[in-house]
Parts: sequence; C-alpha cells; structure tokens
Amino acid sequence: MKRRAPIFDSLLGLVVLWACIGIFYTPYDPQSQAFTLERLSSPSASHWLGIDGLGRDLFSRIWLGSGHSIAMGLIATIGNLFLAGFFLVVEQRAPSWFSRLLLSFIAGWLAIPVLFIALLLLVYFDQGPTTIVIAAALGNVPFTFRQLRVLWRHQKETLYVQASRVLGSRSWNLFRKTIWPNLKPDVLGLGKLIFAFSLLEVSGLAFLGLIGDPDFAELGSILRQNKSYLLADPWQVIWPGVFLSGILLLVQLSRSEED
Amino acid sequence: MSDYWNLPLNSQVDILINCLKKFGVLVGVLIGASILLFTAIHMLEGDPISLRLKNPDPETVALERERLGLNDPLPAQYVDYVSGFVVVDWGRSLITQRPVVEDVFSRLTATLELTLSAMFLGVLYGIPIALFASSSSAWIYRKISHGLGVIGVVIPIFWLGFILIVVGSLWLNVFPTEGRFDYTYDKPNVTGFLILDVLLTGRWELMGMVLRHLFLPAFCLSFYPAAVVINVIHPRLQDPLTRNLIVSLKARGFGPIRLWVKHLLKLAGAPLVTALGTNFGALLGGAVLTETVFSWPGMGSFLVGAILEKDLFVIENGFLFIILLVFAVVSVADVLANAMDPTLKRDHS
Repeated sequence: MKRRAPIFDSLLGLVVLWACIGIFYTPYDPQSQAFTLERLSSPSASHWLGIDGLGRDLFSRIWLGSGHSIAMGLIATIGNLFLAGFFLVVEQRAPSWFSRLLLSFIAGWLAIPVLFIALLLLVYFDQGPTTIVIAAALGNVPFTFRQLRVLWRHQKETLYVQASRVLGSRSWNLFRKTIWPNLKPDVLGLGKLIFAFSLLEVSGLAFLGLIGDPDFAELGSILRQNKSYLLADPWQVIWPGVFLSGILLLVQLSRSEED
Repeated sequence: MSDYWNLPLNSQVDILINCLKKFGVLVGVLIGASILLFTAIHMLEGDPISLRLKNPDPETVALERERLGLNDPLPAQYVDYVSGFVVVDWGRSLITQRPVVEDVFSRLTATLELTLSAMFLGVLYGIPIALFASSSSAWIYRKISHGLGVIGVVIPIFWLGFILIVVGSLWLNVFPTEGRFDYTYDKPNVTGFLILDVLLTGRWELMGMVLRHLFLPAFCLSFYPAAVVINVIHPRLQDPLTRNLIVSLKARGFGPIRLWVKHLLKLAGAPLVTALGTNFGALLGGAVLTETVFSWPGMGSFLVGAILEKDLFVIENGFLFIILLVFAVVSVADVLANAMDPTLKRDHS
C-alpha cells in the first residue's frame, strides 16, 4: 500500500503544541472571575466561546485545560510504559515460578478498573492531579505489559535476533542495535493508544471530582464545573467535550494511519 | 448450557474442574484484596472515629473504638473483618449509621441495572452491525462498523451523556434529565432492579416511566460494549478462511439469518463472551461516570463519598465486594467461553 503523508500525525503534533502553550499563555486569566456581569453570555469576538457561569472566559479555561489534560496524560503514559517495561524485564529475567506468579498477578490486575484503583489510591494520598496521574499510569500497566510482552516474544523469535545472538552480541547491544529499531514503531503506536486511554481516564477521574481543587482547569473538571449550567446554556458543557473528543479522535486517527 | 448433560463425561468433568479452579482463584482474590484493603485502612492518617464523634474527648473515642473492636490486635481484627465479610455482617456506616449491607445492595442494584441494560443494548445492535459489515461487500457498512468500533472506545462517555441529555431531554423533550424513578409514584421494592420489580408487582403503568429513565444512560453506556463486540467479531470474520466460508455458504443459498446466526456467530461466540467478561470492570467504571451525569443513584457517588469521608466499614466491605464481583464475572465468562469452544482449553495448558 502506498504510504500517505502523515497528516493526522502532524495535526496531532500541532494540537499538542497548541495545548502546551495554553499552560503558559491564555488570552485572559483562566481563574479570575473578571466578567461576572456577562455570565453565560454567548460567544463574541472578544470571548470566542463565551463566559462561564462564574464569569470566566471559557476559551481561556479550555485552552489551559487542554494543556493540563495533555500534560497529565503524557506523564501518565510515560510512567505507564516504564512500569510495564520494568515488569517485563522482571518477568523475563526472574526464575520461572516468580514469572508465573507475576503473570497471574497481572491477569488479576487487568480486571480491576482504573476508577477503583484511583479510589483506593485516595485512601493513601490526598486528592489532586498527582494522584489522578498515578492512578491512570497504574491502571493501564497490565494492558501495556501484555502488549509489550507479545511484541517482545515476537522479536525474540525472529531470525535476525537469533543470528545476532549466535554471532555473540551481548544482551544490551542486542537490544539496542537489533531489537529496538524493529520494536520502536510498535512501541510508539502502543504509546499513542495508552496516551488516548490515559487522557480519557485522567479527565474521567477529574470529572468525578477527584482532582480536589474545584478551580483546577482540566477538560474533565471544566465539564464538572459547568454541569450545573447544562439547562441554561448547553454549550458550556458541549465545548470542553468537543476539545477532548477532538484530541482523542486525532490520536486514534494518527494511530490508524500507521497500520 | 442446557446441553451440559449431553456432553461426553470427560468434558463434563473438565468443565467442573475448571469451575473449581475459578473458585480457588476467587478465594485467592478475596484473601489478597482483603489484606490490601485492611492494610490501606490501617495506614490511614487521622482517626476516622474521632472525626465522627460529636465530642471527641479521648475517653469517648476510646470507648467507641472499643465498641467497634478497633483496639484488638491487628490479626484478630483482620480475622473479624474477613469472617464478617463472608457471613455478610458488614457493620454500620460511621456517617449515616445505616447498615452497610443495605446501602451497598440498594446502590449496587441500580448500577447493575444500568450496566446490564447497557451491555444488552450494546450487544443487541453491535452484533448485527458487525455481522452485516463482515458479510456485505458494501464499503459503507464496513466504514460504519469500523467507526463505531473506534469511537465507542475513545469517546468520553460523560460528555456523550450530556449530549444525549441536550438532544433527548432539551430538544425532543421525551426523556427525563436525571434519576431512576419519578417519585410522584410509590416505588415497588422487591429485588431492587426496577424493571424486574415492575414486572413482579404487575404495575404496568410504571413500566414506560422506568424505561424512559433508563434509556438515555443505558444507551450512553452501550457504546462501549458495542465497540467491544465489533472489535472482537470484525477481525475474526475478516480472516481469509472465514471470508471463503461466507462466500461458499452464500453460494449454497443460505439466507442471511441462517448464515449469521447459525454459522458466523458460532465462530465468534467464545471470544465475544471472554471479551465482554474481561471488560465488565471497565464497563462498571463507565457506569460510575454515566451515573454522575444522569444523577443515577448508584455505586459511584456512594463509593467516592465513602472514600472522601473515610467511612471505614463501607470502604472495607463495599470495595471488597465490588472487586470480588468483577472477578466472579470474569471467571464465569471464562468458564462459559471454555464450554462454548473446546479449542480454547488447548491454548491455556
């Protein structure tokens, strides 16, 4: 099949960049309730998406919120990949009774939804963005672990890896020079999927109010804050979700572009 | 499983052994999860008891702790906890002073009603879409099915819920925006599952109202199981061997119903059951989000509240029960799938 130019990939990159800018710059202060007189006013040239129920510029809040959501999702994804990789190394290196124990432990872990993991974490930690990120990172570990394990076993069986091993490469070089270049595209694709999941979970947990600070701008928590204005002005609730779904859809599209 | 008794003896024994193994796993989960929860609770900073008492002077606190058995040595407390859990003596909530069992079950039935209806709905329209897309040659059906498979997994379910409220309640004005029941009527209370209760008490006039409350949340949540169904069935039927099978079955003049139900569904049945089982936990998580959108009086707000208020016995018993429930569903799905497709057994051993 002819390889198309990766449109969605570049678009995703642009959106991530746009969102990251939002952490440092927004047209108005996302926290200050400067426009209380124009509460719930509809979009205008100066306020692109209107004013929210507490007199804050909705576009600024969503911009900052996208930044926070994406940053939290990214951190969760990276943590998740590291943890799953760590478990994989342990599973491959440990004595077989331990690997079997680990495998069944992870099979059990797979069944527990992220939400319950987050709630259990709240017993130990305070509410806040950090707890949510940890929960999202932990929640997907079994899934990532299984996917990575499949990829890894597939690589181990291939002829070029076996050949390189016969020629005497040590394990680190074997990994870095022979396995990793072939593994990289798959791991990147997996990373994107995990990012989509983490983003969804982070904003879901924020929507449940587990983020603590009611002012914190995150796409899920903005939805929660604007929930009470649903009947008065539905767009207050629709817009944050449009941004969230748009980002998620882009991630999925850029992933399917690679297949 | 009506034909269980018609199976040869050794497959019957196999299924029984499999069930016993799953039961062993459940016991293991019970022990592991209870230890985890127990240590978590006892590492809590801040004494949940002294937060609850009206005048928390040390004497009353000590008295209250003594009454709740919190001064016993830890191993004794743990044994008390697990044995109490097993005989369904779950204590009282520190906040509402209501028995935990009652609260958990009244909330859980609401959540399960939502989850099971969503699963039913999702399977109901997911299977035809997937089968139709696989057996028809028209490109557009494949696109629809593929799109639903992608969207159902990534769409933020809580946002979808709001969209459905805007469309169904604000514009069409057909569905209520929140809740499970209209309290101008008196509520039948037999099993806690409202549809079942209405059927059992024979009060048909309530049926429409109950279904109208249920429809939007269940439809909202059903996208996830529908996507799971499509993502499991579709690749299976895209297999070149299966495509040849479809062509030859069509050539033999089998009608679509017979082709789909008798032949294709049989091929995809076992992995479908497994996938639905393993995704049950995720679906429960989705249900908690949906509940929050539709103010559905289910487990979600109850558990979140219990955690934030550090309601000791609700956390200990409620969570343990949910975790066991999730594992039980996964195990049952596994046993069913094994019984449906004997080739699966070879993969495991």
